[in-house]
Amino acid sequence: MTKRRQLKFTMIRSLVAICIALLVATLLILISAGGDTFQEKLQATGEALKQMLVGPLFRMSQKKGTSFEAKRLADILAAMIPTIFTGLSVCVMFSANQFNLGAEGGIMLGAFASAMTAIYLPMPAGVHAVVAVLVGGAAVALIMLLPALLKTKLNVSEMVCSLMLNYIIMYVIKFLMNTYLADKSRGQIMSYAFQETANIPPIVNNTVFSGAKLTWGFVIAILAVILCGLFMYRSRWGYTIRMIGINQDFAKYSGMKVGAVIVLAQVVGGFLAGAGGGIEMLGRYTSFSWSALPGYGWTGLTIAILAGNNPYMVPFAAFFMAYLSKGCDLMATYAKVPAQLIDIIQGVIFLFFAAEQFLSKYRQKLVVKSAKEEIARANLQKEG
Amino acid sequence: MPDGNSAARDEYVVQMKKITKVYSNGVAANQEVDFNLHRGEIHALMGENGAGKSTLMKMLFGLEQPTSGEIVVNGEVLHLTSPSVAISHGIGMVHQHFMLVPSLSVAENMVLGMVPQKSGLFIDKAKAIEITKEYSERFNLHVEPEAKVMDIPVGMKQKVEILKALVRGAKILIMDEPTAVLTSQETAELFVELKNLKKQGYTIVFISHKLNEIMEITDRLTIMRRGRSMGVYNTKDVTKEEISRLMVGRDVVLSVQKDKANPGETVLRVRDLEYVNEWNKKMLDKISFDVRRGEILGIAGVEGNGQKELVDMLFNFNTPNSGTATVNNVSILGLPQQKIRELGVSLVPEDRMIYGIAAGASIEENVISDRSADKRFNKGPLFNMKAIHDEADRLIREYTVLCKSRRQHVGMLSGGNIQKVVVAREFSSNPVLILADQPTRGIDVGATEFIRKKLVELSRSGIAVLLVSADLNEVMELSDSLIVMHNGRIAAYFEDTAGLTDEMMGEYMLGLKEQSKEEVRRVCHDEKTPA
Repeated sequence: MTKRRQLKFTMIRSLVAICIALLVATLLILISAGGDTFQEKLQATGEALKQMLVGPLFRMSQKKGTSFEAKRLADILAAMIPTIFTGLSVCVMFSANQFNLGAEGGIMLGAFASAMTAIYLPMPAGVHAVVAVLVGGAAVALIMLLPALLKTKLNVSEMVCSLMLNYIIMYVIKFLMNTYLADKSRGQIMSYAFQETANIPPIVNNTVFSGAKLTWGFVIAILAVILCGLFMYRSRWGYTIRMIGINQDFAKYSGMKVGAVIVLAQVVGGFLAGAGGGIEMLGRYTSFSWSALPGYGWTGLTIAILAGNNPYMVPFAAFFMAYLSKGCDLMATYAKVPAQLIDIIQGVIFLFFAAEQFLSKYRQKLVVKSAKEEIARANLQKEG
Repeated sequence: MPDGNSAARDEYVVQMKKITKVYSNGVAANQEVDFNLHRGEIHALMGENGAGKSTLMKMLFGLEQPTSGEIVVNGEVLHLTSPSVAISHGIGMVHQHFMLVPSLSVAENMVLGMVPQKSGLFIDKAKAIEITKEYSERFNLHVEPEAKVMDIPVGMKQKVEILKALVRGAKILIMDEPTAVLTSQETAELFVELKNLKKQGYTIVFISHKLNEIMEITDRLTIMRRGRSMGVYNTKDVTKEEISRLMVGRDVVLSVQKDKANPGETVLRVRDLEYVNEWNKKMLDKISFDVRRGEILGIAGVEGNGQKELVDMLFNFNTPNSGTATVNNVSILGLPQQKIRELGVSLVPEDRMIYGIAAGASIEENVISDRSADKRFNKGPLFNMKAIHDEADRLIREYTVLCKSRRQHVGMLSGGNIQKVVVAREFSSNPVLILADQPTRGIDVGATEFIRKKLVELSRSGIAVLLVSADLNEVMELSDSLIVMHNGRIAAYFEDTAGLTDEMMGEYMLGLKEQSKEEVRRVCHDEKTPA
């Protein structure tokens, strides 16, 4: 199969999965929809689906009809910023067959480290934000050495290690905030305000999007996608990461430095998650107040799976997830459907992607056919 | 146990008709194989590793499904889709590597999956022990029901395996190289037990390539070679020599033109290499040999006689207990693969799907795997894509890899073309030494011929080639000189392959004969003339 056909296959598979997921969602909405008669239920379901599928971009009102709304688009794009970073992070780590689940804690630690830099290290405007984000990335890159080295040196499962690490990170940050760093003059646990110099400014004047916070972070995220794509597909390190992911024995036999590259993949993945956390923090907030894991890491996991670990597909998957999330919010607000439904839809999508067997029987048939032809040819040659 | 209903039903308890099996990687493991079993016989299934006997038995046990052909058991055409289906039709298998839970007791292992219960909730241990004792006595297979499996000797583990099959109602027992792990005493004991089972009407398939055992215990034998059946014989009507010829004889003779070798200085020098595996079996017993520039040294032998271990040592997939190996006087034992490759060593690995390729990557990505850090393929931090495309296209052309483009996934190619991708990479890295381990196994005639010609061509250009092959035709045709391995030792060294016959080779390969130490030592060329 050529790459292009492979891509087509992946896209068809994604599409089928999404369709089935939506079908299941529709059924669930129908069951949970209000109304006494089936007719009413059906109508409520239609209303809910419309909110979910069209609502994220268009405002629907009885008086004005359906109209495009730029603010909602900007909201979706803004929501994509952290999840693009976590998606890329997971892509890189999973490409090396390292099931590191540390993007979740990573984005929190990145946000925290960037926030501290923004508060306590005075610097000129422009430079300050860049340094703060880099510090966030570096902090997580460093902490990812933990699961990576434990894996390569002692063969500790990176999955378990990174998963636990998420909670360690969260509680250490909570401890530091509660005991040392909180601004005592505020009514809740939050840090002092970031210095103005560390702000990541919005792309265009806020009034255009009626207050939606679409910052330059979005542009940086898209740049990160391109850089990450180049790294994975156009550099020897990304190449080695991918080969290790496809067949580690082969990589070792070919003379690749398997251990070092497994560490590299997790360090790069950590950096991406950390930088994403920093950009989200400095772009959206004015002080650090996260007291729990933000969930972007888990979304990044779904995104990476949807994107088939291909960095270039990450923005599309991130858009899909942000759109879906927004749609479900609207549905919950206007159509009285529980927002938890999105979890079910996510679950169904997961189900279809995790099962590698899905649609892969077709491939087996092709192989058998070509092998048979070869035998026939060989026999012919023997006789002839 | 004839039931008298129909004579035809009693003649064969199992018939496998025209079985063909093509694996998903394109390897044709069985081609139109016929195999049948009389009720109450011990039937040997013989052949070298890779001849297709395990594949055939896996299909009878439901672990694999035939691509075509049919399996008839007790006169009934069956689709054996899983081992549980096979077991329900009275077919049991005793695996070479035991499938037992070490931390459970013998009795618990016996009833695994069919546990007797007490009040629907608890395991009835007493009942399990009772069942174990009952079967143990009935078949005269002594085991200790309450001992943990990890504490009992290998011979008893095997008895547990046999009993496990019998408890589940097996009437046909497939035994995969049962004596490979046993001491000679345990083997003798096993044979008594098998004869006993036979007397009680059980049918036994005995997979082995140990000639003495086959002659002692079996009634009939089927010989396989390269995925095909070479016929069925009554054991008492054939001699060891005939079996050896059928097993290791040659089939298609492809002749490769080659000039006489003109060997230069020694490239690979191996001295007293010794390796004892994790089950304390000596796999390499002080192996010494030299491979010189410009010659092909072949290693012949039935698989499992130390060849795999030897290659593993030379490419640092394993560490020997003692001994040395040098390439141009630099020690290679324990070096990382990258360093070994830097010294100019190439390896065409035995298992191409595991080591040779990344099936899910493109041809291009596969051919640059050993040279991705080369200056000529990198421009700053990025790849020089044009140079890489050119390299891939050049290799595809030069090695006539049949594919749609360099972007095609290697896993989608046929076996022969996959192997061409492997050799394209390994042969084009400017090697001083090529280790070719089963370079043409299971691939089509065209690719086979191509690879063999390339090997000869490369050796004549001054590269040292070590060719390990279970294909007698291949080692005899290609090698300039030849060693035969048996039981971890070099059984024979032939300085010149001309005049060697299959019969002579077979006798050394199956351990009927062995050369003297002095004769074998001739392969260490620098020691020939005493100082």
